[in-house]
Amino acid sequence: MAEFVRNNAWNNSGNFANTDLLWYAKGVEAMMNRGLNDPASWWFYAAIHGEYVNPNTAWYPDPPAFPGWGFITSPPKVPTTPLPDQAALDLYWNQCQHGSWYFLPWHRGYLMSLEIQLRQDIVSQGGPDTWALPYWNYFGGTNGSQYQMPPAFASKTLPDGSANALYVEMRYGPRGDGNIFVPCPPRFPNGPVNAKAMNNDLFTGSDASTPLPGFGGPKTTFSHNGSPHGNFESNPHDLVHGYVGGAPSPTSPIYGLMADPGTAALDPIFYLHHCNIDRMWASWNANGNTNPADPDWSDGPAQQFAMPGPGGKPWYYTPGQVQDLNKLDYSYQELTTEAAEPTLALSDRLNVLGARPTPPTLKSATRATPKQTELLGASPLALTIGKTPIQTSVKLDNEIRHTAAVSFARVSDTAEALPDKAFLKLENVSGIFDATVLGVYINLPESRSAGESEKFLAGHVSLFGLRRATVKDGQHGGEGLTFILDITPFLDQLHLTKALDTDSLQVSIVPDKPLPDATEVKIGRISIYRQAF
Amino acid sequence: MIYNEREYMQLRWSLTGISLIAWILILVRPASSSSWCCGGDCPTQLQMVMAANAPFSQIMEALFAENPPGPLIGDWALMLLAMMTPTLIQPIHHIRANSFVRQRMRLTLLFVLGYFAAWIAAGAAFVTIMLGAKVLMPGSFLPALFIGLIALIWQSSPAKQRSLNRCHHHQPLSAFGTRADRDAAEMGLNHARWCLYSCWSAMLFALLLPAGHMLAMAAVSLLAICERMAPPRTPRWQWRGFDAVWKYGSLQLRRFRRPGTASA
Repeated sequence: MAEFVRNNAWNNSGNFANTDLLWYAKGVEAMMNRGLNDPASWWFYAAIHGEYVNPNTAWYPDPPAFPGWGFITSPPKVPTTPLPDQAALDLYWNQCQHGSWYFLPWHRGYLMSLEIQLRQDIVSQGGPDTWALPYWNYFGGTNGSQYQMPPAFASKTLPDGSANALYVEMRYGPRGDGNIFVPCPPRFPNGPVNAKAMNNDLFTGSDASTPLPGFGGPKTTFSHNGSPHGNFESNPHDLVHGYVGGAPSPTSPIYGLMADPGTAALDPIFYLHHCNIDRMWASWNANGNTNPADPDWSDGPAQQFAMPGPGGKPWYYTPGQVQDLNKLDYSYQELTTEAAEPTLALSDRLNVLGARPTPPTLKSATRATPKQTELLGASPLALTIGKTPIQTSVKLDNEIRHTAAVSFARVSDTAEALPDKAFLKLENVSGIFDATVLGVYINLPESRSAGESEKFLAGHVSLFGLRRATVKDGQHGGEGLTFILDITPFLDQLHLTKALDTDSLQVSIVPDKPLPDATEVKIGRISIYRQAF
Repeated sequence: MIYNEREYMQLRWSLTGISLIAWILILVRPASSSSWCCGGDCPTQLQMVMAANAPFSQIMEALFAENPPGPLIGDWALMLLAMMTPTLIQPIHHIRANSFVRQRMRLTLLFVLGYFAAWIAAGAAFVTIMLGAKVLMPGSFLPALFIGLIALIWQSSPAKQRSLNRCHHHQPLSAFGTRADRDAAEMGLNHARWCLYSCWSAMLFALLLPAGHMLAMAAVSLLAICERMAPPRTPRWQWRGFDAVWKYGSLQLRRFRRPGTASA
């Protein structure tokens, strides 16, 4: 039986009647009272995820400006000196794993380490030695009532009148008005945030029911610049970051702390969000989905994950050591989420295409992996999004389009040969305004009725991590971000409406709010790929 | 990102195989020029002409007689194939993953042509320096020591890291027509440029050694592969180079340990 139980932050109405949150606030306060160079400090832990406080890094703003930590509006009051020594900087800081199959296990270890430090500080103040990090299940509650941030985080003071360390000034929300919520079902049936990735049945890669690059993310080795984020990382994780952080004004280049990996972990809500991500990963496993058996995953990368450990020594850990919740010392108050339906997506698809395979046939067909993945079409290079949406033409190759069309003739009840799938790729997306969510549409008509746009929506992408990925000498080598969206339903519709002989698809990119001046987003290329089964 | 593991492994093994074949050829076939592998003990015609204070035209004649340009270029190209091919796995994968299937071979060749054209042009300069050293200081380690010192400084410099970072940057590519061809060739030239900036001093150092040339080239090759495996980093003054192989070796050792339960 696990020693610690992580509870729902919305217990006892999500205010300080929930003692998990009260003690969290006191623990955070204690950690905030330590210096930047102290491995037990809030700031050091935040920098482990990512930072803009060391002026000797390539991503420190030049000239100095937000999101430099010295330009953050308090609270919290973020220190900028003294920096740790170079050895500590190299070992611990800026480790966060994004766009990689290490995303989930790295963050699990990160939370485990922080939780131990917080518990230590809580116990020293007379708090319970059973305390564990709460989670914010934005999908939960009656009629989805927990989509809102727990009220304890919005209060500037604790019940005793002292300052509340959980309150952060630079937290703006989806509408930029300080109302912090996650637009997700059931309260927002169309999202954009959702838990559809929980229906994936593959941790990495793709099959007939799981789009690229897989639930947990793409396989990466030493260097993973240019890799897209995993399906679960993209949605809900990235979108929650973007929406909770938000931006206060369409004319200011400022955005909320949660919107950027280099400031996100300064906000105490970060860890409740990641606790929920961790919980949902555990739930995905509990639903019968397995983590990779590949030792390249379980042994971790050559550059080991390191967290501050007891006695000032680093704790090195691998994905293999933290992957099974049953072998760790904590569990969750509630692990169930929506029942996963990996066969449903494929069944629905084949039904639409006129086939009626039996359940056993479906089950094996779900696991079919693509034999070939190839470019189907591409846009011109160097697209720019400013204050208004853009539309561009993705020209399709005639020969490959014909091959895709032929694949639909193979659709049958035996599901022996599945039709092609397709995905859209946004390549080399660069810019500096992370708090942007882009809506991507296919063949969006110019004139349309209210609500009709939804039919043409391929998906939403959050530009969480954009700035750091754009920096030429940053960890992404200046390549920017890459996004993948499954557009198989569009391919199916083109087939059904006998429109698959089209020369091109029109792709519209719509930012969720006008971009401030000088924060244009550039896209290297938009491409479409087919996957042949 | 790797879309197809099998295709990626085929590419990796093909390029590694090309490199290995090139290394074998270098080791087993005789050098086309006395300049490459002569230990410097035997007095060459060039050295005798120099010792006799012959006129400049006679010196040049002896120089090119002993070092015919064609075979020199051939030897240089063979060394590039041996040393640099493994570092091209990622950029060639980028070309192939982002172009239409029927164009992949052509665009890969254009990339390779652009890449090697830049290196061969650079090779003319490198070899000229090498020949000059042979003429002016035959058999001496001084030129190599001098460049070696510069190589050490360059190796630890922020400029070196900047060059390595640029090697990781893969540009978006036009997909259709002659623009696709142009972009592939341009990517080859660009990649070679950053490779050259990164490796020039180490390459020159190995070339200038009057003895131990092959061993030095193998070490430089290993250095280039290790550096290619390391992720981009903030440019700063620091020792860099073989830490990737150290970390990879440590990872292999850790694999033999039994994983335990996590307790931070």
